[in-house]
Amino acid sequence: MSGHDSKYFSTTKKGEIPELKEELNSQYKDKRKDAVKKVIAAMTVGKDVSSLFTDVVNCMQTENLELKKLVYLYLINYAKSQPDLAILAVNTFVKDSQDPNPLIRALAVRTMGCIRVDKITEYLCDPLQRCLKDDDPYVRKTAAICVAKLYDINAELVEDRGFLDALKDLISDNNPMVVANAVAALAEIQESSSRPIFEITSHTLSKLLTALNECTEWGQVFILDALSKYKAADAREAENIVERVTPRLQHANCAVVLSAVKMILQQMELITSTDVVRNLCKKMAPPLVTLLSAEPEIQYVALRNINLIVQKRPTILAHEIKVFFCKYNDPIYVKMEKLEIMIKLASDRNIDQVLLEFKEYATEVDVDFVRKAVRAIGRCAIKLERAAERCISVLLELIKIKVNYVVQEAIIVIKDIFRRYPNTYESIIATLCESLDTLDEPEAKASMIWIIGEYAERIDNADELLESFLESFPEEPPQVQLQLLTATVKLFLKKPTEGPQQMIQVVLNNATVETDNPDLRDRAYIYWRLLSTDPEAAKDVVLAEKPVISDDSNQLDPSLLDELLSNIATLSSVYHKPPEAFVTRVKTTQKTEEEEYSDAGEQSYSDSPARVAESGASPPASTANPQHPASRQPAAPAALPDLLDLGMDNSGSAIVSVDQPATPAGPPLPVVLPASSGQGLQISAQLIRTDGQIFYSMMFENNSQVPLDGFMIQFNKNTFGLAAGGQLQVPQLLPGTSASTLLPMVLFQNISPGPANTLLQVAIKNNQQPVWYFNDKIYFHVFFTEDGRMERSTFLETWKSLPDSNEVSRDFPASVINSVETTLDHLAASNMFFIAKRKHANQEVLYLSAKIPRGIPFLIELTAVIGTPGVKCAIKTPSPEMAPLFFEAVETLLKS
Amino acid sequence: MGLVFSRLFSSLFGNKEARILVLGLDNAGKTTILYRLQMGEVVSTIPTIGFNVETVQYNNIKFQVWDLGGQTSIRPYWRCYFPNTQAIIYVVDSSDTDRLVVANEEFHAILEEEELKGAVVLIYANKQDLPGALDDAAVTEALELHKIKNRQWAIFKTSAIKGEGLFEGLDWLSNTLKSGGG
Repeated sequence: MSGHDSKYFSTTKKGEIPELKEELNSQYKDKRKDAVKKVIAAMTVGKDVSSLFTDVVNCMQTENLELKKLVYLYLINYAKSQPDLAILAVNTFVKDSQDPNPLIRALAVRTMGCIRVDKITEYLCDPLQRCLKDDDPYVRKTAAICVAKLYDINAELVEDRGFLDALKDLISDNNPMVVANAVAALAEIQESSSRPIFEITSHTLSKLLTALNECTEWGQVFILDALSKYKAADAREAENIVERVTPRLQHANCAVVLSAVKMILQQMELITSTDVVRNLCKKMAPPLVTLLSAEPEIQYVALRNINLIVQKRPTILAHEIKVFFCKYNDPIYVKMEKLEIMIKLASDRNIDQVLLEFKEYATEVDVDFVRKAVRAIGRCAIKLERAAERCISVLLELIKIKVNYVVQEAIIVIKDIFRRYPNTYESIIATLCESLDTLDEPEAKASMIWIIGEYAERIDNADELLESFLESFPEEPPQVQLQLLTATVKLFLKKPTEGPQQMIQVVLNNATVETDNPDLRDRAYIYWRLLSTDPEAAKDVVLAEKPVISDDSNQLDPSLLDELLSNIATLSSVYHKPPEAFVTRVKTTQKTEEEEYSDAGEQSYSDSPARVAESGASPPASTANPQHPASRQPAAPAALPDLLDLGMDNSGSAIVSVDQPATPAGPPLPVVLPASSGQGLQISAQLIRTDGQIFYSMMFENNSQVPLDGFMIQFNKNTFGLAAGGQLQVPQLLPGTSASTLLPMVLFQNISPGPANTLLQVAIKNNQQPVWYFNDKIYFHVFFTEDGRMERSTFLETWKSLPDSNEVSRDFPASVINSVETTLDHLAASNMFFIAKRKHANQEVLYLSAKIPRGIPFLIELTAVIGTPGVKCAIKTPSPEMAPLFFEAVETLLKS
Repeated sequence: MGLVFSRLFSSLFGNKEARILVLGLDNAGKTTILYRLQMGEVVSTIPTIGFNVETVQYNNIKFQVWDLGGQTSIRPYWRCYFPNTQAIIYVVDSSDTDRLVVANEEFHAILEEEELKGAVVLIYANKQDLPGALDDAAVTEALELHKIKNRQWAIFKTSAIKGEGLFEGLDWLSNTLKSGGG
């Protein structure tokens, strides 16, 4: 092959990319701009134009803002695929961040934040630092958001470069937009960090409240969201905050309204004056009602939020039930939500009106809606005792219409009503029996069969009715089979005549031999064994008195409700799920664990053989939950030991292991209540600090002979106002088992007057034993906060600014520092931070700082000869009355 | 085609355009030189992570001057800028005698590049204002300029801070380019 042949490999025909490349390198500005536009167009439709990276980047240094923006857009898209080449853009970014035009400065810093390439990130810091202090507010606010982006890429870098402090400074900015964006950035950073980063102080509070009135609507949302996390010091402060925020309720933007409502609800927790609360409730009603005149989608969001609000504070909308009446043209999802809220708002006063509405809905065409309406009537009957009769008469009227699905739905709810009001309305059974033949849905059938079994003694032809069902036993769905089995056993126990005896044999035979369903078979065997061993005991078990069910219209667990309320105006409050459940980025809290546990406990009983024994006699709870603690109680403790053991083992193993993973695997906790003085209950406990939060780490051991449950805890007034920050989560403790828990603690709740001391008096109560009291000791170092580190200069200034009377010192003759490093590491682990050290003769002098909540600093000087016992500790603090406690803590830390 | 025509026209009207790369090790003074040429003043610079591009009008030639960062991490990307380049200004820190060997290696690597075959080379022995700076002869020696074949080149003693020697070099460059060297 001669050299000339190479021409065959070079084609004259160019593809799109080389053509674009040539145009991008054109010497004419217009041509370059057009070329970049073409590249962006290709990018948007999904063509890969990443190979033009350098050519596009070379167009970046231009006076033309339009061209610059296009190149930036390209960079955001392709920097990730060309991480090495992306570095070529850095210099231009740095230059642009110093451009005289603030728009370009902001654009540069914003784009750099969007480019998630590690190599670029480090170069972003200097421009960002400059832009955070820019003269132009638009640049500052863009930079604030950029810090949050950077934190997501490299949190360490943000902290090292002091951007968090810069952000906090921006809260005091004179431009409200900057304040709002700084707040938004800090809130976002806080969400992905487990340490407390953004805490509103009384100083920032006033800044935020001022900015609130002046910034844009979305800025207001950010500020309101941040304020809703603020814990006001007392009721008075809460009232003041709420008063400043109330005008936001009139805002045209529904996001602002919802955020304001959230914030007010949070602060209302602290307000004690009933007048003020009533007044606030009055003020919140009209804006919430106004939300319902928006588009259906917004109505839906509003309704989901109102659903939560009504559960917490029903008074707010108690008089507004009419606005929740369904309009004929409401979309179905809005109607369903409105129904929910109507049930929640239904009261003796408005029930007639509500029933009239429900009855109307029950005759509409949409089957799902009709069913829900019928169910709603039943739920109202269960909820309002005085209205039950009226509800039932409406239900009976509906049954008379003979619309199949209405009848079936009605029977399902009537079964619940029977359980709620035993021995009251059984007279209507006859009417129900008339519709027997039309039942074809499993749930309705099961409900009807339950009614027949439960009231077998009052239904003359109960055996005939049951028999008619038994014919098709093998074909029935499991739900119906289980009910048939139980109902037949009940019938037999109530009428031990020949007919039922034959029936029971057929059923037991069917259910044990001819079925594949393990639940059915197990239940049948249990009955069989019961009946053959001791029919009297069987009677006690099967016909035991059932716990009365309650209305489930407030179905959310209080702690979950509180969490959802603190997330009003977010997706979480629409889903009615905590954010951790669907947002992966959110740091998981211990809450989820407990939630999962309680969910597992409420799973439908048909797949949990352990609960057959206790709930075998009760129908599937369709709309009403049986009261759990009561139904967990074994029905007849002495008669049937084997059955009970079965039940206990299963429920026990599911419950006992709730040790939180966060429990540090440290030394065993000190015993605070020995088993000898607690009638077999031993409690070990200690205050600890983890992740910036104080917990009371507790371990309960049950050495008594009885299961213990219903644990509650109470703290007496103490110097630091320590109190429980949540419910004590201790499961039922069976004899010989133990459980650990971390109880989150809050400060400044019930502060005892008088000189500071470390006494913590605790009271523990459970359902089986008297109340136990014990004393624990508060280790002062649990209060040392993570932000106690001080700059050297700040340390000196603070030291000088405090009068000498604030200096206290003490000798620890028994303490010894063997190694400065080890001691410093050890102290740093307890949030005492090293500042400087110097040598004085043969002594080492160490300077440290620490901070306790409310920002009270402690400046510490430790003097010691290395390796020789005897440490002198001098401190300076604005609160010298705390000094004795502080010394005790330091001595403890030095010892361990 | 467009490029050929525009070049034709511009030479007819005496307004030639040239694409020039300013290369050299980091801290050689490339960015300072660029802005001294463009604005006539000394600007404070930081290490160039990437590039600067400015247009400098001199002797009826419109120079499009690309100043590329000289740090080790960026040098591999110089080649992205080689196509269509008429001239290279190679800047040497004459006072940084320790790194002249590296400067030499980089320089000859550039000359090897196929895409830069036709480019003329102007060397600035920069930082003459500093004590201990080598003169042009010594830099010529250190860069082994005598090895250059088939290419026009020149070396000038410069001080970007004082503004000495830069425009003399540009004079040579514009004359060489006008006479068809590029």
